[in-house]
Amino acid sequence: MIARWVALRIIQEMRRDRRTVAFFVLVPIAIMTLIYYAMLGDETARLGVVTRGLARMYDATLIRSLEETEDLVIVPLDIPDDLTDPAAIEQAIHKALGEGQAEGVLYMDEQLIVDRFAGRRGNLHVYVQGERPTLNAIILGGIAESMDDLANDMGVVIDASCSAFCANSVNIKPMELKKHYVYGSEDYRSVDYFLPVIPPFIIFFLTFIISAITFQRERVRGTLDRLMVAPMGFSQVVLGYIGGFFFFSVLQTVIVVGYVLALLSFPVSWGQIGAILFMALLMMLVALMMGLLASFLAHNEFQAVQFIPLVILPQVFLSDMIWDIRSFPAVLRGISWVLPMTHANQAMRGMILRDMRLWEAWPQILILTGFFLVTLFILMYAGRLHARRRS
Amino acid sequence: MLQVDRVTKQFGKLKALDELTLAVPEGQIFGLLGPNGAGKSTLIRIITGLLPPTSGTITLLGSKDPTDMEIRRQVGYMPQDAALYPGLTIAENVRFFGRIYGVPETVISQRMEEDLELVELTHRKDSVVETLSGGMVRRTMLLTALIHRPRFLILDEPTVGVDPELRLKFWDWLAQLVQRGSSILITTHHISEAVRCAKVVFLREGKRLEEGPPRELMARYGSQDLEEAFVKATSRKGGTP
Ligand SMILES: Nc1ncnc2c1ncn2[C@@H]1O[C@H](COP(=O)(O)OP(=O)(O)O)[C@@H](O)[C@H]1O
Ligand SMILES: [Mg+2]
Repeated sequence: MIARWVALRIIQEMRRDRRTVAFFVLVPIAIMTLIYYAMLGDETARLGVVTRGLARMYDATLIRSLEETEDLVIVPLDIPDDLTDPAAIEQAIHKALGEGQAEGVLYMDEQLIVDRFAGRRGNLHVYVQGERPTLNAIILGGIAESMDDLANDMGVVIDASCSAFCANSVNIKPMELKKHYVYGSEDYRSVDYFLPVIPPFIIFFLTFIISAITFQRERVRGTLDRLMVAPMGFSQVVLGYIGGFFFFSVLQTVIVVGYVLALLSFPVSWGQIGAILFMALLMMLVALMMGLLASFLAHNEFQAVQFIPLVILPQVFLSDMIWDIRSFPAVLRGISWVLPMTHANQAMRGMILRDMRLWEAWPQILILTGFFLVTLFILMYAGRLHARRRS
Repeated sequence: MLQVDRVTKQFGKLKALDELTLAVPEGQIFGLLGPNGAGKSTLIRIITGLLPPTSGTITLLGSKDPTDMEIRRQVGYMPQDAALYPGLTIAENVRFFGRIYGVPETVISQRMEEDLELVELTHRKDSVVETLSGGMVRRTMLLTALIHRPRFLILDEPTVGVDPELRLKFWDWLAQLVQRGSSILITTHHISEAVRCAKVVFLREGKRLEEGPPRELMARYGSQDLEEAFVKATSRKGGTP
């Protein structure tokens, strides 16, 4: 098995190359930290509350209720209390939003109370700054949730003409929502949905980059020719490369998976950790093979580097990683199916979020193993063509 | 040893080798001489199987199959450009090439000591290749091509960029290798130094101008120097001057 000497040589060289070793260990941690905070998406919207006339009575209730909404903070606005002309108030609200004092303003006027006491529903006015849809959604969602509390608090004056039955029905409290979670819980953050797909991405990205330049390095140094004329099959070179990178890549995979599991807001059982590691290592092997193949097919370093975006970007967009693949046209959904990361993501989400067992991921395991074997086969074939040249 | 039979190599419109025929006998140094661009490296790459010829055949150690592992094991190849692992030491490089040629560990150690002694690199054997001078790199290249004790050694411009004193030593070492039983095919564009070959071929623009022992060729063109003979052969045998 001459492959072991090729592997040993890679390890020897890597060991002296401290920067590359650091690349293997530190870069994934740095990238994952950034992705984590980006996806944590701790966006908060600031809301101002303006009340006038009798509506002031409900200030406290309203603000208490609104403050229960996550991601929503109530801020004071620079609008004088003695400003009562509705047109002037509206102007002041526009000005406050324009100046960035808040992203939204809730305005309750005297008319609301008048309407309520007359048995009408009445209007609440919400002004949103409107540029950022995510903030609009936080504000409108928060206000909608507080509406019931407010309505309860306000009470209703019952019309004299109303029957007993009518009075009853007016006082009926709104239905209560019981939430049932099949997977996860109310405490799941949206980042918990993204965390499982980070290991396939990081591992694929970093492994592919390193392996995509290996044969080019051999070519540039002139050593590839010497390997090709040595009395060993090309398979020994490929196996040697897999073996040489295996140690460092396994280390990297363990670090990536461990870090992601630590970032999750819920614990994962030991059995699942085994399954997750298995999936991540399989993904690493696929990336290694694809990188080696790209590297071998490229004629120069420039081409090899071009393979990196060519292989990575479609997988970022089409693997259901961040953007729901169901929203893409059929052609792109088809492409999605032939990307290894799509399948790795499916399995990872299943294992981490839905407690899927390793054996339940057999379709994904089968497909990724298929990817590995097909790229291995193509690489061996290309290598053999290369070696058959004199005839 | 080696039979090159009507080998032509076309790179697009450029004919790098034109119906070239030559035979390298056993037990001597055979020189392939010519200026830059004559086609020397192209021929060597075809011989080693790294490049397919457009037409013609190569018979190396009796075999026409470049993938024949038994044949590969008996051939040593030193490419024109430095082809070592710059992050490894001299000893590690030599050991690596010994290993991929299947030489047992203890044999590698023993031969390495001998060879390092021969090329006067013993004191630097644990130096990382990156830190070596050009001449030391060339010597290390020679060691890596020798460690499996090939019957047939192919050296592509081994003396390029080597200072004159070391160049003389290089030829001494090659003579010793022949005494040990190796056959050598060497290319060079320092034509004068090739007087130490048993036989040479003058190559120009992919064509063979002359073939024979250096002394004979020098006598034929009435020159004291092989390079002068080459220049005269070029003008007499046509080809663009
Ligand atoms: N891969 C290639 N593609 C195109 N032309 C090449 C290639 N390799 C060599 N050549 C051309 O073939 C000719 C012979 O080159 P080479 O064999 O390297 O010469 P030498 O080794 O004698 O200096 C040169 O003109 C060179 O430019
Ligand atoms: Mg050359």
